Amino acid sequence: MHSTMFGSVSFALFPVMIFGIVFMGSFLLPLLSAAFPAGDLAFLAHATFLLLGFMVGGFGLLGNEMMNRRFGQASLLVYSARSLPLSERSIFAHFVVKDIFYYFFLWVLPFGAGYIAASPFSGVPLSRALLLLLTLSLSFLLGLCVVFLLSSLYVRSKTACLLAVVFLGVAAGIYTFWSGTNPALLFPPYLLYSAFSWMAFLATALAIAVLFAASVVLFSPEGRSSARTYRRVLGRLAKMLSFLPDSPIVAKDLLDLARSGIGIGQTLFSFLIPLVVIWFFLSLLRGSLPPHGLIIIFSLTTGIIASTIYTWVTEFDSFGPYSCLPVSVSTLIAGKMTTFLVLQALPAVFIGTVATLSSGPELVAPVIVLCLSISVYAAGVMAYLCGLSPSVLVYDVRVLITYLVLDSVALVLLAAVSFANSLYAFLSLFLLVPAYILVRAARARWDARDPAGI
Amino acid sequence: MAAVIETCGLSKVYGDVTALDSVSLSVEKGALFGLLGPNGSGKTTMIKVLTGQVRPTGGFAKVLGLDPAKDGVGVRERVGIIPEQESPPSFLSAMEYLEFVGAVRKIPDIAEKAEKWFDILEFGDKKNVLCKDLSRGTRQKLMFAQAFIHEPVLALIDEPLINLDPLMQDVVKEFLSDYVRKGNTLFLSTHILEVAEEICSAVAILHRGRLLHAGPVADVRAHGEHLPGFFLSLVRKGGHA
Repeated sequence: MHSTMFGSVSFALFPVMIFGIVFMGSFLLPLLSAAFPAGDLAFLAHATFLLLGFMVGGFGLLGNEMMNRRFGQASLLVYSARSLPLSERSIFAHFVVKDIFYYFFLWVLPFGAGYIAASPFSGVPLSRALLLLLTLSLSFLLGLCVVFLLSSLYVRSKTACLLAVVFLGVAAGIYTFWSGTNPALLFPPYLLYSAFSWMAFLATALAIAVLFAASVVLFSPEGRSSARTYRRVLGRLAKMLSFLPDSPIVAKDLLDLARSGIGIGQTLFSFLIPLVVIWFFLSLLRGSLPPHGLIIIFSLTTGIIASTIYTWVTEFDSFGPYSCLPVSVSTLIAGKMTTFLVLQALPAVFIGTVATLSSGPELVAPVIVLCLSISVYAAGVMAYLCGLSPSVLVYDVRVLITYLVLDSVALVLLAAVSFANSLYAFLSLFLLVPAYILVRAARARWDARDPAGI
Repeated sequence: MAAVIETCGLSKVYGDVTALDSVSLSVEKGALFGLLGPNGSGKTTMIKVLTGQVRPTGGFAKVLGLDPAKDGVGVRERVGIIPEQESPPSFLSAMEYLEFVGAVRKIPDIAEKAEKWFDILEFGDKKNVLCKDLSRGTRQKLMFAQAFIHEPVLALIDEPLINLDPLMQDVVKEFLSDYVRKGNTLFLSTHILEVAEEICSAVAILHRGRLLHAGPVADVRAHGEHLPGFFLSLVRKGGHA
């Protein structure tokens, strides 16, 4: 699908680009090692791949509704259970395996290959580079399978899923309390990278296999059998939100998120769980950062993840359902952006709570401003580059490079000034200017093209 | 009579595919105009271009005096559209969808008007059901209602009878004839030739993006032919051209 959308060459260049970035980046290792202990860098790499697995792993949410909405091509495959002698569960398992390979060859392998190719020049022994590829792959798979299991459980029983998450949280808390050690240090792939043993490898692989099998067994491909009915809410909600521009579109988007369960699902699996895990991983870097550095870094990370809320509100519908109405692509982008801004209450409350609990009330305001500014800016970049299809177009190499460069510049500058003085985080408000310009440019740019999805 | 739709050398190319190839036609006010053609002949693209959903790659069109390539929103404000595939937003109920249409189109008394359409198309018992849980036929009724709820003077509709049972097809055909009798104009894309012959006053036949014929249905009958036979012989000839 991606290669059809923006040409096979541009898509094929994506893994080449990841390879190139890592290959070149490997030459910076001696410099980075001077600032961070080598173990910390490896830890960060494992955390990144765990996060990638988290982001990819919400397969359990792909009931009939998601299949219908997001994966037109996959729907044909999945629904072949109705016309061919194949069970839906077995088709789905194949679909998941296909997707795992897809992301492995798109991200994981090029990353590892870049590092391996650079090993003769960077002074890293080839065996360590190969081991890193193995353990990063395991990190990715572990993250994917954990979220796959939780999301499958979520679709079956929200209470059971909540209990599982609470249990994991409490277990991590008790461990930290008794041992005084960060539970992230027990992350199996990182332990394996630190001290490889075949037994530990087999145990990790077995854990992944068990998680995967349990997820497939728990996965529920059947949709609800009965038609759902609702009293009229849209009109009242649109009226309540009438102070916002395009309030009917905002109200519709909010109802989409609430009624589909995707709002809670995404909040849990694409926001809260990844960020809590990232917090544990980042907190290991505390010794290498300025006193308030950890919450600054975490705020920036939360901001980037919060910017993906723009993809939540755009993945529900293409321009298709609006094509018979007097609505332009430009209006739709503005409406989605307004919904995105309304939903920024979530990261604001989250980062405010974390800052209060971890760093004290004096950091709450600068950290919230920093997080929201970077989120709005990154969403503006996304809207400009991808219009209403960010989750698809991000795999266009040109788009991704531009996105990474524009975001990285802002992130590096803000991290640097905020490290110097936490009050300088308020300078991030200046990002709202380019964000506004980008959204305006996005509206003009995507209005001038034939819309996708009709 | 004044033309409400006019195209001149209208073309649309998608990559290597020519969906419309220099199509020139005119639809007069008060006509029930049928756009006929086999699958993939360019009928849907024609409606998309005329309603400003996609831009032409050549030629121009005027709809109610507006250029849809420059003012697609303006055209869609004034006309009613039933798209090829019924696609109301999944997580709104049928009633909420019509409320949404009303809010976007700024229609007063939308609840009252929606109730009228639930009665006409006999699906009031489904008004609180989510669109995604509606049957295809009921979704088609909903799309029909949204296309006419603002009482447009021109409607461009793509296969409006598909998915409807024979009784409902009869209701819809009666409504369409009545709509035109009131002086409105209907641009109907279909490949159900019997329906076109029954209700259309004029037709155009597209094949592989090219216009093979345009004129009153009465002219076809005057030559002692029925529309289905005329269409088949024309398309077969065109197919070998």
